[in-house]
Amino acid sequence: MCMKPGNDINQKIEGALNSLNGVQRAEPQPWLYARIMKRLSREEDRSVWGSISSFLARPTVAIAGLCLILVLNGVLLFKEEMEADIILTEQAVDSESLMASSSSFDYENLVQQ
Amino acid sequence: MNEWTLIEKLKQGDESAFKTIVETWQNMVYNTAIGIVQNAEDAEDITQEVFVQVYQSISSFKGDSKFSTWLYRITVTKSLDHERRKKRKKRFAFVRSLFGEGSEVIVNPPDFNHPGVVLDKKEDAAALFNVIGQLPDNQRIAFTLHKLEGLSYQEVSEVMKTTVSSVESLMHRAKTNLRKKLEEYFRDQA
Repeated sequence: MCMKPGNDINQKIEGALNSLNGVQRAEPQPWLYARIMKRLSREEDRSVWGSISSFLARPTVAIAGLCLILVLNGVLLFKEEMEADIILTEQAVDSESLMASSSSFDYENLVQQ
Repeated sequence: MNEWTLIEKLKQGDESAFKTIVETWQNMVYNTAIGIVQNAEDAEDITQEVFVQVYQSISSFKGDSKFSTWLYRITVTKSLDHERRKKRKKRFAFVRSLFGEGSEVIVNPPDFNHPGVVLDKKEDAAALFNVIGQLPDNQRIAFTLHKLEGLSYQEVSEVMKTTVSSVESLMHRAKTNLRKKLEEYFRDQA
């Protein structure tokens, strides 16, 4: 007996197409609810940090933050320069007063003489 | 407790209502996901994501459709997103291998066996799932929802937000494509 290959393949095709007849639903592993709740609590923790970082990432917030840092840097630098100037001035005054005290002349006596 | 009462309770943050929802619909969600992604671990992951989304966005469910329709839509969307991410990873790994980076061996997974298929049809079903994975997304979704979940064309059209005649057309094209691909598959095997 000679079977036509075409028939054989057609039968296989029909068999495959009908293989899902009477299929039952697949079921997940037990305790799915517990795993979902664990995942939810992980997502809630992540969302706190996520909302902070997304707030900081907003362009206006980022630019304002950068400007604030630049201004603070500027203020600190200016403050340092001011303090440096004050120290120099104080040193200069001190050295002048030293010079003045070491080279002072007794004018009254000079006049009396 | 009926569906709408459960949904209202969940909107108020009632955890026991959420537990009931999970227990009632977990098989539906899991079976749909596994039919699309054809991998038990991935289907489990997707199922969890679906219910997390349900919990987080239940307030956006307005009741325009059945709750199950809304669930199917979320499941289908997440399953397709998962497939796209997987394809992108594979492409990236392939490109890296061209540059000599990464030594991951890309192994084609073995044929998928759906756990709900009767024993004497397992081999045929494995062949069918193999070619279902090669269908365009919309044909694959329509076929999976109809054949694996037993939804009517009307119900499939509600999930896919299309008309019944579109679903009929998708199913016709899906079957034509499946026949063609199954013929190639069985000829290669012979």
